[in-house]
Amino acid sequence: MVAAKRPVLESLRRDHIIELLGKGQRVDGRKLTEQRKLTIETNVIEKANGSARVSLGDTEVICGVKIELGTPFPDTPDKAILIVNAEVLPIASPQHEPGPPDEEVIELSRVVDRGIRESEMIDLSKLVIIPGQKVYAVFIDISVINLDGNLIEACSCAAVTALATAKMKSHELSSSGEFKQLEDIVPLPTNRLPVSITVAKIGESLLVDPSMDEESVMDARLTLTTDDDGNFCAGQKGEPGGFSIDEVFQVSENALASGKEVRELMKKVIEGAKEGKETN
Amino acid sequence: MSEIKRKYVIPGELIAQGSYGIRGNMLKIGDKIYATRIGMAEVGTDTIRLISLNGSYMPRLDDIVVGKVINFNAFGWQVDIKSWFPAFLPAANVMGRDYSSARDSLASQLTLGDQLLAAIAGYDRTRDPMLSISGPGLGKIAEGNTVKVSPSKVPRIIGKKGAMINAIESGSGCRLSIGQNGIIVMVGSAESVSKATSAINLIESEAHSPGLTQKVHDILSLGDKSE
Amino acid sequence: MTNLIDSAGLRNDGRKFNELRPIKLEVGILKNADGSAYIEMGKNKIIAAVYGPKEVHPRHLVRPDRAIVKCRYHMASFSTDTRKNPAPSRRETEISKIIRQSLEPALILEDYPRTAIHIWVEVLQSDGGSRCAGVTAASLALADAGINMRDIVASCAAGKVDGKVVLDLDNIEDMEGETDMPVALMPNIGEVTLFQMDGIVSPAEFKEAFELALSGCQDLYKLQKQALFTKYFGTDKPQVQEGE
Repeated sequence: MVAAKRPVLESLRRDHIIELLGKGQRVDGRKLTEQRKLTIETNVIEKANGSARVSLGDTEVICGVKIELGTPFPDTPDKAILIVNAEVLPIASPQHEPGPPDEEVIELSRVVDRGIRESEMIDLSKLVIIPGQKVYAVFIDISVINLDGNLIEACSCAAVTALATAKMKSHELSSSGEFKQLEDIVPLPTNRLPVSITVAKIGESLLVDPSMDEESVMDARLTLTTDDDGNFCAGQKGEPGGFSIDEVFQVSENALASGKEVRELMKKVIEGAKEGKETN
Repeated sequence: MSEIKRKYVIPGELIAQGSYGIRGNMLKIGDKIYATRIGMAEVGTDTIRLISLNGSYMPRLDDIVVGKVINFNAFGWQVDIKSWFPAFLPAANVMGRDYSSARDSLASQLTLGDQLLAAIAGYDRTRDPMLSISGPGLGKIAEGNTVKVSPSKVPRIIGKKGAMINAIESGSGCRLSIGQNGIIVMVGSAESVSKATSAINLIESEAHSPGLTQKVHDILSLGDKSE
Repeated sequence: MTNLIDSAGLRNDGRKFNELRPIKLEVGILKNADGSAYIEMGKNKIIAAVYGPKEVHPRHLVRPDRAIVKCRYHMASFSTDTRKNPAPSRRETEISKIIRQSLEPALILEDYPRTAIHIWVEVLQSDGGSRCAGVTAASLALADAGINMRDIVASCAAGKVDGKVVLDLDNIEDMEGETDMPVALMPNIGEVTLFQMDGIVSPAEFKEAFELALSGCQDLYKLQKQALFTKYFGTDKPQVQEGE
C-alpha cells in the first residue's frame, strides 16, 4: 500500500526553510536541537486502563491502553501479549481519509512498539497467569487527531505515559489453579521510560523534532529510542536520503540529550498522575 | 441617516420579518428571514446584509487570487486556490499561442509548490475555475512570505477604501498583495513581515470586535487612528 | 435486576427524569480541519470534524446540482469497556448513515454543486447516546466550517427505564432499560431529522418520550448556541448592537 500523498509545500516556504538553516535558524524560531512545546495529559479516557493526550506543537495524539485476558502466542508461551496499533484519523489532516493504515502508519506502529518492547519497559514474563494458556494482553491504541509532523515522538510519548500510569485488576490462582480476578486495582508493572527522538536531515543540517513543513523538505530522518540508563534500545532510518557516519553519531547525541528532557517531563507528569494531577 | 441594527447570528436564527431585500447567506421563508451562516447581520430599513465570519473561498470572475501549483500535465497547471476545486492555468496563457508540449517544458516556467498571483478568468457552477496570469502584477511570486486568513475576513483586511491595508503597509514597511481567497503575500524585511503578520492575525481573530482599527494601529504603533 | 430508579424517583447517576447529563461543548478545537467541535455528554467524549466542500473522489459520485456528503462514525479501540476491534463494524456503518441523514436536511447542498462535504465523527470514549452526541457536535463542526445551513441540528434520546419515561439515557439505562428513542431536531425549523426506536412503549408513552426528547434537543440547542457565540463573538450571550 502506498502512503497518503504529502501536501505540496510552497516553494517560497521551502526556500525560506533552507535559507534559514544555512544560518543555523529555523522558520519557527527554534534552535536546531530544540523541541516544540510538549504537553502531556494523563487519564483522559476513564474507560481505558491508562491513557494520555500529547501535543507536540500542533501535532496531537491520544493513546488508550486496554489490559485484557488472552492466550499467549504459541512461540512465546511464557510472555504476555503486547500490541501497538496507531491510526491517523481522518480528522487529523485533509490528506487522510478512512481506510486501512498505509505503510507510513504501519511503520509508525512498529517503531513505537519496538521502543517499548526492546527497552523492556514492561516485563512481559511477569504478566503471565498460566504459561501457555492464560496471559494478559496489553493493547496500546493510538489515535492521531491533528497532524503537524514527528508522529513517532508524539505517539511514543503518549504510549509510554499511558502505560506508566495504567492500572489493572489484580488476580489470584486458587490451589487447584483456578484463575480469579480480584477487585483490587494495582498499577501495571513498568520499569523504564523509553523516549523516541527523531532528527531530520535537510541538506547539511540536522533538526530535532521536525514540523510537517520541515518534514516535507527533509532528505531523511533518523529515530533513536533511549532508556533511563542512557542506553539505546531501538532505531529507524526513514525517507529516501542518507546520513553520513558522523551524522549518525551526532543524532545519537541529540537523542540522548532531548530524550533526557522529555523523560524528565514524563516523570513529572507520571508522579503528578499518582497524586491525582492530570497534566504538566 | 440610515438606521442599522446589528446582530450576531448563527445558522437557522431568525434575523427579521418583513419585506427586506437580502443578498447571500440568508434564507427567506414566507416573510421570515433566517441566517444560514455564522456572522453579523446588519438590518437596514429595507435591506439586510449578513457578513459571515468563516467559510471557504467561492471563485468569482475577475477576482485576484494567490494560488499554489500542485500538479501539471501537457496542457497546463493545476493550482490550489483554497477553494472547492483546484483551478486550471492553461499552458498557452503562460507560454503564448505557439506553445508546443513537445518543445516547451512547463516546469521551466512554474513547478510544484510555486505560488502565483492570478485572475479568475472563467468560472461557473459547471466547470472548474480557469486562471490567467496575463495582466499587470500577475504571475509567479518571486519573493516574500504568505499568510492565510479566512476569505470572509479579506474585506476587513482591505478596509474602507483600502484604509486598513494602507495602515498595515505604512506601519510595517511591508508590501502586501491580497488574494480574494484569503492568502496574502508580504514582501519586506523579516521584521516588517512579522509586524504585518501580527496585524493580519489580529484582524483575523477579532474581525467582529468594535475597536479593531485602533487595536491594529496600536500593534503597528501608528498612534490614534485619524478617522 | 438492578433498580435504575430509586424510591425518590432519581436515576442511577442521581438525575431527575427530565435532566440531561453534564454537557461540555467546544467549537474549533482542531487546527487542520475546516470545522471542528468537541462534546462531552456524560462519559461520551467525541470529536467531530468537517473537511470541505472539496473535490469528489471517485469522480463518478459527482452530483452536478449539489454536494454529496460523506460521513463516518468511528469508535476508537479504547473507547469502550472491552477493547473494540479496529475493523469497522456493521453498527458503526449504520450509525454513519443515520448521522449523515440527520445532518443532510440542515445543509443547503445545492449551494455547492459537484463537491463533497466530509463529516468525521470520532468517539474517543463512548457512553449511551453517542450517536446523538455525535450529531450535536457534527452540526457545530459544519457551522464552524462555514457551510450554508438551514438550521443547527440538536440531538438527544429519551426512553423508558423501570417503567418510567426518562431523558438522555446513559450506558446502563440504554442496556438495561426497556426502550431507547434517539431523536434529532432542527430547533428553529421544527423538523425532526433523526428518529430511531427500540423497545416497546404504549401510544401515551410514545408521545411522552418523543416530547421529552424534543425538549432535550431544545436544551441542547441553547448550549450549542452558547458554544458558537463563545468561539465567534467572544461572548456566550446573544446581543444586539444598535447604531451607526
